[in-house]
Amino acid sequence: MAGVNRKLLLDCALCPNMCRCECPVDKEYGREAVSPSGKARLAHLLLEGHLDWEEDLLEAVSSCLGCRGCRLLCPFPELDLCEELLQARTVERPPGMVLPAAAPYLNNLKKFGSPYGTRPVAQASPQGGSPEVLYFINCTAQANHPRSPQLVLELLEAAGVSYRVMDQYCCGYPAQIWGDMELARQLAEENRDRAAQSGARLLLTDCPECWHTFTARYPQWGCELGLPVVDAATYFLELVQQGRLKITPPEGIGSVTYHDPCIWARVAEMTAAPRELLQHIPGLELKEARPAGRETRCCGGGAMFQLTFPERSAGIARRRLEELPPADAVVTSCPFCRENLQVGGGKVLDLAELLGLAALR
Amino acid sequence: MIERLSRTIQEERLPAPDYELIAKKLRHIVGDDGVSASGADRLATCRDYWPMGTLWFLEGKAPALPDLVVWPRSTSEVAAVLRLAGEHNIPVTPYGEGSGALGGAVPLQGGIALDMKRMDRVLELDRDNLMVTVEPGLNGARYEEYLNRHGFTGGHFPQSLRCSTVGGWVACRAAGTFSTRYGKIEDMVVALEAVLPDGKVIRGRKLPRTATGPRVDHLFIGSEGTLGVITAITLRIWPYPEKRIYSSYIFENIERALEAIRRLVQAGARPAVVRLYDPAETAHHFPDCEVPAGHVILIYLFEGAAGIVAAEDELAARLAREEGGVAAGPAPVERWLETRFNVSLASKLFRQGAVVDTIEVTTSWSKAAEIYHAMQKALLEVEGTVLATGHYSHVYPEGAALYLTLVGFPPGDKREYYRRLWNAAMDSCLALGGAISHHHGVGLHRGLWMAQEHGQALEALRMIKDAFDPQGIMNPGKLGLGEVKKWPE
Repeated sequence: MAGVNRKLLLDCALCPNMCRCECPVDKEYGREAVSPSGKARLAHLLLEGHLDWEEDLLEAVSSCLGCRGCRLLCPFPELDLCEELLQARTVERPPGMVLPAAAPYLNNLKKFGSPYGTRPVAQASPQGGSPEVLYFINCTAQANHPRSPQLVLELLEAAGVSYRVMDQYCCGYPAQIWGDMELARQLAEENRDRAAQSGARLLLTDCPECWHTFTARYPQWGCELGLPVVDAATYFLELVQQGRLKITPPEGIGSVTYHDPCIWARVAEMTAAPRELLQHIPGLELKEARPAGRETRCCGGGAMFQLTFPERSAGIARRRLEELPPADAVVTSCPFCRENLQVGGGKVLDLAELLGLAALR
Repeated sequence: MIERLSRTIQEERLPAPDYELIAKKLRHIVGDDGVSASGADRLATCRDYWPMGTLWFLEGKAPALPDLVVWPRSTSEVAAVLRLAGEHNIPVTPYGEGSGALGGAVPLQGGIALDMKRMDRVLELDRDNLMVTVEPGLNGARYEEYLNRHGFTGGHFPQSLRCSTVGGWVACRAAGTFSTRYGKIEDMVVALEAVLPDGKVIRGRKLPRTATGPRVDHLFIGSEGTLGVITAITLRIWPYPEKRIYSSYIFENIERALEAIRRLVQAGARPAVVRLYDPAETAHHFPDCEVPAGHVILIYLFEGAAGIVAAEDELAARLAREEGGVAAGPAPVERWLETRFNVSLASKLFRQGAVVDTIEVTTSWSKAAEIYHAMQKALLEVEGTVLATGHYSHVYPEGAALYLTLVGFPPGDKREYYRRLWNAAMDSCLALGGAISHHHGVGLHRGLWMAQEHGQALEALRMIKDAFDPQGIMNPGKLGLGEVKKWPE
């Protein structure tokens, strides 16, 4: 682990918060302490020993969705404030200090390998043998809308793809967010071993946070997954382009707006595939949000906010919903967005649910 | 513990109020999540972007800490908070997004930091009459984004657009970079709603003009939180511009360029953006524009109805030619648009031990060149100053704003250097008849020169303050209206 780049953190602390208009936390909380530079200032004072780690300070520097909205406007090209704050509260804080709101979920992670306390059950497609796809089910989807991962499996079957649902643990990112790096590494190693045993050609995920953890964080933690990781939008687009899924107009859905999940849009730079997929659905009108694409705004579901700060998280979702144009449904491609925008009051479908309506009748 | 941080200019109120009891009463007004006594919140609202505050931050010090941070969500909550503050004689310092450059948000006597950011709604968009009413805590960039989404512009683009609030603009009498076309904030405000320190609410009429005595609501423009709290703002808006034209010209010196600008605005043209950079800033900001050494660049951005901006551009081109200007095309304007919000250099310089600041003053055309040369000379004579550069913006038929950027690596005490720097700037400005601030306002620091700026008028301003706020609880020590008891040594 690299630790905090203190020069970059100080650059941010000395900035007048020029990115704060893009920080969903800043706008929802209205608290100076959780503005982007506000967090950097507190983190700087903590790291320089001017302040001691206390609960309110830990809570402030933990109030980051990891959405990287700040990076859209940041004048320091090397700075990723979300990562610096993550480092500050994992590497630099006193051992054993846990955000009270996160404690029960961290205990679940330790005990069950999932923040929700239940893990997906391993399943395999009827074909048997070494599968093409190893499907990694996101914990939030499994806990809150299990129909979505089930639809993914049905779509894979409809397309004739052999799969296996991984006997998995949480990807480990929540453990890092909540400051337990040892646990994060343990979970990563469990997943690596299970992925290696599967014999699959690739690992499929519909969660941007899991994708980012597998592809970027695991190597940082000294743990390579050993399988190519593919996002569901790109994979289903290929299946549709290959004619392996037959698409018909979905009943009751004439228009949709697409909410870009922040990690897909800004970290993976994956904004075209879901739109191309939507274009393959006959008669479906896509109404673009404003802002959209790379400039999207977080739904409030990043960094497990739904669990630790549920009211704020829903408030951020309501703000994002106000920016979306009227449509029959909001479509997104992240289990956290799917959950949070619905909590915020929208009719929301993830890509699997929309494809299910279009391809599984 | 946050309490162990040294507080550099805190003035204690005696006898000290029972803040635990007051917090309890405040929770009845604004709810449990509307009050905080936490170290994180108090520390976060202890300063703004005043360089003196930055220097203290780098030393791990706080200028002054509020005892409580309070977030109202409505006018009635603001009124109830101010009534309670009055009952207990507690100071109240309104807080926006903390981009002020003069220490105006420093809670000098502690008390309540009244954070307005949870009042951030758009209350009414009046399309027919081109007005919008918003709450004061709305972020500037979000305000403009909202208007753009509905086909309008607010025309107000300060460099702090992304990190300031509409309420902050009004309270600090701000100006945006497109001000020559759209006006300054005082030209945009139609009406205000404000809460007086005793909890009474005043509301101005949402009409373009009245002749029914002085507009009491407009007294709050530039009041910097000393008279009460602004709770709703009705502003003029404009249809999103049909056409934009960018042009730029290179001149031998600032004198000829100033003449081209003066003739243009006095002829009635209103470019949205007019910016004339001195040789150093020309070289720094436009390195790819092949400007001969020692020459200066002038950029114009015209926007609005197509026919009008075409005529303005044509006139600007002719006047620039007549003053010896050479056209340099749209690229410098595009460059400015790309870089106008980038203030990263200040962070880096502060981190490396420099003192950085900006000072903006107002001049008539007659003194426009002279005041630049005089102020630059005075600033460079302060030992430790390595850079004193300038540009003109915000032009009027009568004169212009001059904006100086200063960098120093002082050999000794940084705060002493900072004081000498400001003395040099303000003295040289006043000696040539300039106004000591064009748009950054007064805050704490510029209060030192308010008597010289206003003469007897400062006494009148103090009488107004006393009439509104006889207990002196609203943002004490600011706007040159209160005695600052513990000026940093």
